[in-house]
Amino acid sequence: MEYMAKHWAILVIMILYTAGCLGIGQWFKKRAAEDVDAFYVAKRSIPGWAISLAFFSTFISTNTYIGQAGFSFQAGLSWAWVGFYWTVFCMISWLLLGPRMRVQTAKLSSVTIPDYFDYRYKSSFSKAIRIFSALIILFATLWYMTAIAKGCAHLLTSTLGIPYAWGAFLVIFITTLYSVLGGMYSVLWTDAAQGLMMFFVAILMVMIPVMYVGGWEPLMYSVANTAHLTAKGQPIGNGLMTFCTLVSFAYITSIGLAVGMKQISEPRCLIRFYSIDNAKSMKFAMIATPIFLGVSLACVFAVGALVHGMATDQEASYLIKHTDEVVGFMLAKFGNPWVTGIVMAGLFAAGMSSFAAVSIIVGTAFVGDIWAVIKPMSPQKQVSYTKRLMWIYSGIVFVLALYPPAGIVELTAFSGAVFTAGFFPAVFGGLFLRWGTGKGAFYSMIIGIATTMIWRFGLRFVLPGMKDIHEIIPGFIISLIAYFIISKLTASDMPDKEHLDHVFHTKTS
Amino acid sequence: MDFLTGMAYVGIILLAVINAIIVSRMKIVFHGEEEDDDEKGGSCSVG
Repeated sequence: MEYMAKHWAILVIMILYTAGCLGIGQWFKKRAAEDVDAFYVAKRSIPGWAISLAFFSTFISTNTYIGQAGFSFQAGLSWAWVGFYWTVFCMISWLLLGPRMRVQTAKLSSVTIPDYFDYRYKSSFSKAIRIFSALIILFATLWYMTAIAKGCAHLLTSTLGIPYAWGAFLVIFITTLYSVLGGMYSVLWTDAAQGLMMFFVAILMVMIPVMYVGGWEPLMYSVANTAHLTAKGQPIGNGLMTFCTLVSFAYITSIGLAVGMKQISEPRCLIRFYSIDNAKSMKFAMIATPIFLGVSLACVFAVGALVHGMATDQEASYLIKHTDEVVGFMLAKFGNPWVTGIVMAGLFAAGMSSFAAVSIIVGTAFVGDIWAVIKPMSPQKQVSYTKRLMWIYSGIVFVLALYPPAGIVELTAFSGAVFTAGFFPAVFGGLFLRWGTGKGAFYSMIIGIATTMIWRFGLRFVLPGMKDIHEIIPGFIISLIAYFIISKLTASDMPDKEHLDHVFHTKTS
Repeated sequence: MDFLTGMAYVGIILLAVINAIIVSRMKIVFHGEEEDDDEKGGSCSVG
């Protein structure tokens, strides 16, 4: 009874939220089961505003709303420059890749990123690229899903006292259930609803310190004149408000690029372009997505710094070393169960939307791009096997979440670099360069991933002064150069003119 | 808040505005769709 009295508001909001997600899954169950096109890309029939919100909620995860928000407690308000970089890449993704990707994938009847490489490059290496890129997805995604499950489970433990293992089970089970039920339809529509929640929760989060202190002016005064100390015990003074006093711009740039560039390379983001229903929708989404993302990030990245206005010296000395706990501290100190419940639902939305998006990506990668390539099967079987694979993969993620390997956060960040170095040249070249070849795409993937690994494990932490240069930068540059050179050297591997004319039916005026 | 710190927040808003201007001047037509009147006169067409 005491438990219910304490948590009833949060429980009511969480139950309503979960029921909404499952309801959407059930609603689209029949439609998603029609064929591969329906289950994998929702028959390219989703309106732009929904795709826009889905892109935003897929790219941003719990890590941003807890980890990055909390980190500004240590880094100060300059941390928002990371959000600036992310917004730049959001724009690049939509302006550069979105429209062409939607058009070309529809023409080629592509339903996954690996099959786009296959159909677009139409080379002797096409099948190898398809299977190789599917394997990259399967490997790199596992750590990401485990990290999300782990983050959400910890959240359930800290706020509702649910044991960690049960928390992990509930998050994985519910998310997989609605993803399997409604395929890409339910993933996109739940993502859209979750995106809307996340947008408002971001604004609510930044308002909590303001309401607690009693207005903007006293809060800013308090933050600018804090008596709190840095993690190294130095006085912060006005460091929270001045540019890069508490964190280097090189570090900000490193995180800004490493995470921001995922938007131009990760399948979970790129696949969103496939499902837009028409050109008008595309245009709307191109305008709206950077607004949703930019406004949310401007709010979220300021939260930690503003929480200094709520914390005593003693609390701050603990939080400065445990920045992941800043958001939880803020909610506990504010002490309004309804606000806590709404923010909690937003945090879960952030985690579950990303989990659902990658869950369907791994299912389609394994069944559509490996299994069905080796042993062709009927569309009904393909959908059915994809569903089963999603369950199996989620089971593996659950086991990993129970026994998370050391360095999972680093592995997750590393997987973004692998995707950028491996996929971006092949995607960009496929969309824009008629002379790009399958061999260029295949070898650029291998060279890009190898460069990323060598930089990360062999050079970055060994060479002096290289620590802040994230592996994504050399990986990205070298794989792009490799794509250009190898494509030029293997011009004979280009598809025939008729195929290229079909793919590049592009006019520029 | 100093100028460069504030620029991160103002910059995000400016990016969104610049992006909206760029997109509103673009002409986007998907293969097989009718071209809309309000989309004519842009600089780029895909499809």
